[in-house]
Amino acid sequence: MARRRAKSSDLTKNSEETLLWAGLATSGVVSLVVIASLALAPIVSIGPDEGNRAPDFVADAYNGGAWYEFRMSDIWDWSWDGNSSESKWILIQFIDTDCPYCWEEGDEMSQYHSQWKDRVTFVTVNVHLNIPNHDSSKSEIEAFRDRSSFGTDDNDGDGCNSGRDNCLNRPGTPHQWTYVDDPSNSIFSQWELSGTPFTAILQPDGIVAWNKLKHQGQGGDGEEMSSALQRLVGDS
Amino acid sequence: MSVLSLELGIFIVGVLGASALLQKNRHEAGSEGTRGTIIAGLVFTTVGIVASGWTWSIHNSLMKSGSSSMCASEGLVQCGSVIGDPQWNNLFGVPWGVIGIASFAVIFFFLMTLYLDQNAKRVPQFVNYLWYLGIAGLPFVAWLVVIELLLVEGAPHICPYCTVIHLSMIGVFASSYVMRERRANSTW
Repeated sequence: MARRRAKSSDLTKNSEETLLWAGLATSGVVSLVVIASLALAPIVSIGPDEGNRAPDFVADAYNGGAWYEFRMSDIWDWSWDGNSSESKWILIQFIDTDCPYCWEEGDEMSQYHSQWKDRVTFVTVNVHLNIPNHDSSKSEIEAFRDRSSFGTDDNDGDGCNSGRDNCLNRPGTPHQWTYVDDPSNSIFSQWELSGTPFTAILQPDGIVAWNKLKHQGQGGDGEEMSSALQRLVGDS
Repeated sequence: MSVLSLELGIFIVGVLGASALLQKNRHEAGSEGTRGTIIAGLVFTTVGIVASGWTWSIHNSLMKSGSSSMCASEGLVQCGSVIGDPQWNNLFGVPWGVIGIASFAVIFFFLMTLYLDQNAKRVPQFVNYLWYLGIAGLPFVAWLVVIELLLVEGAPHICPYCTVIHLSMIGVFASSYVMRERRANSTW
């Protein structure tokens, strides 16, 4: 102990200049690395705003036959040149199988799909809103998508539409596209959403082209999704 | 794309050189040994910062075009499936490369301070800070290795640049251990 104390006392007083030079050297190295990194590959804006790359995700998905691992960017055409009509646009919809508005939107989505399926890939993300009677399961998602029997038509919490209806009676036809389960609401958060239903249209390369909230929210131009599809994708 | 590229070679040489320098100076008493130990830490840290910047660039190019010419994207040893995995390539939305740059920058500052004045009164305190930072970095290294080997899409994968960064972090830990040892043995 005495030896250590003696050793410590050999240390001279602190110089603020040392901290300054160390700080400058650190800033210099970090700045060089950051500038070089950005010169090699600039930051890509990712998010729900139009013009940004849509948030990518990996999640369990149901295609009518089985559940499998789905990665959003796997359906993007990264080399899309902005003109090619061979690449498909993407319509992403967020629902909760127990949300009454999503229940009603089932029919509208069936019609959109019937009209646009050759030029647009549909993806529905099922979120789990933290609301009473909004407990969904994979079986409920399957039944909502397939329009098959799940629950009762009594308002007993069992089934779709806040547990008020058997999923078999969902408006519209069975949905012939991929349903993604988002049990932790992480995809929902990435899209900065607070409620359902929500829809967005993505270019074939995954860039957000139309965001419902920007058009139909406060200060928006009121453009409906059907008009947006017509404007962006062209004739169905 | 070949797994071994010029950049990767430079990073590996940096890590190996820093390791050799640390080993050489570990038992060398006096200020020369101390200086050598600090320089070894600085080399580990510099490799860590630059390699982190490189992975950040790979991350950005993957986000832009889905592929990157800066690293292989197929096979066991590759970056595409690791740095391109949307679930695991970030911490609360911040790319791991940026976290690496920031973390190594803090370590670099403490090491540079020690390098510039080995006899300042703050030396014991800063050596302790480096030791704590080295310890704090190890769980992140372990977690990122678990991600590569078990959690990313199509696991296992080994991202060579990520491995260089992990080795740099372990090198920082080893350097800080040697510095503490030198303080304890009065060979500073």
